[in-house]
Amino acid sequence: MTHARMCVVAVMVVAVVTGTACVQEPDGIFPFPASVFELENGLKVVSVALDSPGIVAYYTVVRTGSRNEVEEGFSGYAHFFEHMMFRGTEQYSTDAYQAVIKQMGADANAFTTDDWTAYHIVASSDSLETIIDIESDRFQNLEYSEDDFRTEAGAILGEYNLNFSNPVALLQERLHDRAYLFHPYKHTTLGLLADIQDMPNHYDYSREFYDRYYRPNNSLIVVVGDVDQAELERLVRQYYAEWEESDFEPTIPVEPPQTRLRTDEVTWPNPTLPFVMFGYRVPAFSDQSIEMPALDVLSQLLFSETSPLFQKLYLEEQVVDVLDGGAVDSRDAPLFTIIARVTDPARIEYVRQAIVDEIDRMKVEPVDDGMLAATKSHMRYQFAMGLDNPGGIARTLSHYLQLTEDPATVNRVYRLYDAVTAEDIMHAATVYFADTKRTVVTLVQEGE
Amino acid sequence: MMVARRVGLATALTALCALAVGCFGDEPVEPDTDTRVGLQYPGSPLVTIRIAFRTGSVDDPAGKNGLNALTALMLGRGGTQTMSFGELTTALYPWSASIGTQTDKEVTTVIAQVHRDHLEPFYEILRDLILAPRFDPSDFQRNQEFLSNAVVSTLRGNDDEELGKQALNVLMYEGHPYVAPSTGTELGINAIALNDVREFHRQHYTRDNFLVGVAGGFPSGFLAQVEQDLAEGLEPATQGPVTLPAPRTLEGVEVLIVKKQAIATAMSIGFPIEVSRADDDFYPLLIAQSYFGEHRTFNGLLMNKMRGDRGLNYGDYAYIESFIQDGGSRLPLPNIPRRQQFFSIWIRPVPHHNAHFALRQALLELETLVTDGLTPEDFEATREFLLNYSKLYVQTASRRLGYEMDSRFYETGFYVDEIQERLAGLTVDDVNAAVRRHLQHSNLAVAVVTTDAEAFRDQLLSNQPSPPTYNTTVSDEILAEDEAIVAYELAINPERILVVPVEEMFRSVELVRSQ
Repeated sequence: MTHARMCVVAVMVVAVVTGTACVQEPDGIFPFPASVFELENGLKVVSVALDSPGIVAYYTVVRTGSRNEVEEGFSGYAHFFEHMMFRGTEQYSTDAYQAVIKQMGADANAFTTDDWTAYHIVASSDSLETIIDIESDRFQNLEYSEDDFRTEAGAILGEYNLNFSNPVALLQERLHDRAYLFHPYKHTTLGLLADIQDMPNHYDYSREFYDRYYRPNNSLIVVVGDVDQAELERLVRQYYAEWEESDFEPTIPVEPPQTRLRTDEVTWPNPTLPFVMFGYRVPAFSDQSIEMPALDVLSQLLFSETSPLFQKLYLEEQVVDVLDGGAVDSRDAPLFTIIARVTDPARIEYVRQAIVDEIDRMKVEPVDDGMLAATKSHMRYQFAMGLDNPGGIARTLSHYLQLTEDPATVNRVYRLYDAVTAEDIMHAATVYFADTKRTVVTLVQEGE
Repeated sequence: MMVARRVGLATALTALCALAVGCFGDEPVEPDTDTRVGLQYPGSPLVTIRIAFRTGSVDDPAGKNGLNALTALMLGRGGTQTMSFGELTTALYPWSASIGTQTDKEVTTVIAQVHRDHLEPFYEILRDLILAPRFDPSDFQRNQEFLSNAVVSTLRGNDDEELGKQALNVLMYEGHPYVAPSTGTELGINAIALNDVREFHRQHYTRDNFLVGVAGGFPSGFLAQVEQDLAEGLEPATQGPVTLPAPRTLEGVEVLIVKKQAIATAMSIGFPIEVSRADDDFYPLLIAQSYFGEHRTFNGLLMNKMRGDRGLNYGDYAYIESFIQDGGSRLPLPNIPRRQQFFSIWIRPVPHHNAHFALRQALLELETLVTDGLTPEDFEATREFLLNYSKLYVQTASRRLGYEMDSRFYETGFYVDEIQERLAGLTVDDVNAAVRRHLQHSNLAVAVVTTDAEAFRDQLLSNQPSPPTYNTTVSDEILAEDEAIVAYELAINPERILVVPVEEMFRSVELVRSQ
C-alpha cells in the first residue's frame, strides 16, 4: 500500500507519513492524493500515485520563463535555454541522452511559457530510476560548446519562422508590446526576431542564465502514475541531493497602471481575414482573492458559445468566425486577451464596438443565477474531464505548482470559482475593463 | 439540483484514478459486432462515443469539392429537428460535453465526449443530430463561409506548413479522388447548395457504412442501443465505397512551387506507396520510418543531421502513411484510415538561402536509406523504441477506441498489438528489403512554399551547387558530408516544375493540369 492510498483512507487534509506530507481534500476538485517532500536544497517533489499500470509521467518544472528576461536585447532566452537542455553533459552527451530516451520508448519533450519551463517524460514506470538519472544529471551538469549553442540558435530561428507564418503570432507580439511598457510580458516567449538573430553571439549569457535559474530552490519535480512514492523519495534524495541552491532573485520591473486607450494596426502580406485583438491587464494569479476567479467566470460569460455576444456575432449576424477571450494564470499581471476574426473587413469597427458594448453591459447588469450556475458547472466538468491520463494530470498539477508550489492551490481556486457572485463579476469588469485600460490591435491584409 | 450534481461529480472524480491504463484489461460486457466496438471501463466517469462513416472527400461530386466536409460541419456545428445549434450548445455547456466531426479522404467521424452523469440526455441529442440533422439555412450559410475561409484565408495565408502539405497532396494525387484537400476547394465549396448537403447525408450516412465505438464508464446495453438506433434510423446504402484508381506515376522529381510572401521556405516531399497497415510490409517500413524521421523526436536521422548538426530549421520528419498530430501530443491521430497511403518527408521552414541545400540533403539521405538500409544496431535500437513507444499511443480510452476502429478498417488485429507481434519477428534484412521494395528517390513530388519562387525554380533547374550558411563553424565531418550534399544532382523534370501564386491554389482540382 502506498502512502497515497493511506492518505485516501485517512481522509484528512494533511497527514505526515515518514516526513512526507500527503495532501488530499475530500471535497476538493482534484481527486487524487498528492504526496509532497522537500530536499534540504529546496527541491520540492510532488507525486500522485495512480492505477495506471506501467506508465509514469515525470515533469521537471523550472519556475523561470520569459518573465525572467529582464535585460534589454535578451528576449527569448528562457525558451532558448529549454532547447539547450538537450545538448548534453559529460556523462550523457546529446547522443547518449537521446539513446536512453529512445531505449525507453519515452515520449519526452519540453515547453516554455511566460512564467515557467517544463521538461516532461512519459514512459514505462520500470524506467523511473533511469529517468531520474538522466534528468538529475542535465539539471546539475549541463555542458555545451559555443558551436552547439550557435547551431541551436538556427533551430530557434526555425521555430520563430514557422510560428510567424500565422498572423496571430504577429498580432500577439504587437499587442504585448503596446500593452506593457516595462514588464517582460512586453515580449512574447519566443522573443523578438532581432534578439533571436543575435543569440549566436551570447554564449556567455546563456551560461549565466543556467547558473541563475536552473537551481533546486527554483524547481519542482512532479511525478504522476504508477509510482512507488517511497522509492521515488529514495531515488530523488540519491540523485538530486548535491544540486546546489542559489539565492539569485531577478528584479522584475513593475508596470505602471495604464491610463489611456492604446491602439495599433498591423498588416499581413498574404491572404487573410482581419483580426481584432484586445488586451486588458488583470490581476496576477492568487488562490486567495476572488478577483481572478471572477474574471475567469466573466470570460465564459462573455465568450463561451452560449454567451449572448457569441450568439449575436457568430450565430445571428455571422460577422465573426472566431471569438474568444480570457487570461492565463500568471505570476504577474497578465493580459486578458480577446480575439475576433472578422468575416468582412467593412465590419471591423462594428465588431470592435460590439465587444466594448458587451463588456460595458457586464459592468452594470448582474448575470442571472441560471447562467452563473451553468458556467460554474461547465468549468468544473471541463477540469474533471481533462484528468484522464498521467501526462495530463501531471501537467495540470505542474501548472498550479509553478504558481504557488502548493498542491492544495487547485482546490482552493475551484472553491473560489464556486464562490463567485454576480456582484464580484460586475466589480471585476468595472475595475479591470475600463476604457482607459484597453489596448486594441487590428490586423488587416496588406492593401485592404 | 446543483448540489446533487456536485455530489455526483465528486464521487465520479474519486473513481477517475481507475481510468488511464489500468482499466484496459476489463472484459467488455457487450460483445463487439461488425458495426460496434466497445471498451467498457466501469471505473471511468467519462464516456467517449466515436461514430465513423465510410465516407469522405472521395465522395465529393465533381465541382462540389468540400461537400463531405460541409455535411460534417452541419452535424458538428448544427442543430437537430428540435434544437437549434444555439439551443444545443446551451444544453451541452453545463456538462462541458462536446460533439465534433473529423473528416478525411475516406472516413468521417463524429466524436462525442460526456461525463457519465449526463450520458442519457446527451445521447438523445447526439442521436437526433446524426439521424435527423436540422440543416438550418442560417447554419449552412455560416458553415459554408467558415469552410471557404479555411481554404481562402487560413490555408493560403495563415499556415505555410499546412499549405506545403496540401500542395504536396495536390501534386501527388493529380487526377485521383484524393486530389482535393479534405476541406474542399474554393469553387467547389461555393457551388454547394443546402439540398446537396441533405442529399449527401442521405446517401453517405447510412445503416450500411457506419461503425460505432463507445469507451469509458457507460452502462450495459448502451452500446447495443446506439448500434440499433443507427441501424434503424439511417437509410440503407445505395452504393459502396468509391473505387480508387492507382495514383499516377510520378515522372522524375516533380516540383510545385507555391509563391507567396513567406518568412522562410516550407517544403514537403512524397510519393504514393502500395502499403498500408493491412500489409505485412507496413511493419518493417514502420521501423525504417522511425529510424529515418520519427515525428518530432531526435530519434530520426533527418532531425539529427538537419536540425541537430546544422541548425537548418526546427524539425525534419518522415512518414509512411497520412499523419496528423493528435492535438498537443506527438502521437498519430486516429480515425483517418485510407486504402492508399504515401511516403513523405516534412522539412519545416528553412531560411530561404538554405532551402536548396536542405532539399538536397533530405533527398540524399533518402537515397542513402534506400541504398544502404539500416545497420543491425540501428534496427535493434529502433525496434526497441517502437515496441515501447507504441504503448503510449493509447494513454486515453478515447485514443484506444479510435485505434480499435481503425483496425476494423484495415481488417487487422488491434494496431498496437500488431506492432508488438509483428516487430518481434522482424530482422534487419526484412526491413531493408521492404525499404528497397517500396521506397525510392527518383520519382518524387516536391511541394515548396516560398517568396521568390521563380528564382528557386531556376536554382533547382540549374543544379548549381548550393552551399549552406551556418551560424558557426562546423566539424570536418559535417563539412565532408556537405561536399556531397552541395552538389547533389536532383533529377528535376523540367516539364513538371510549376510556379503557382498562392491565390490560385485550391481554386479547383484542375489547378495543376491547367498550368
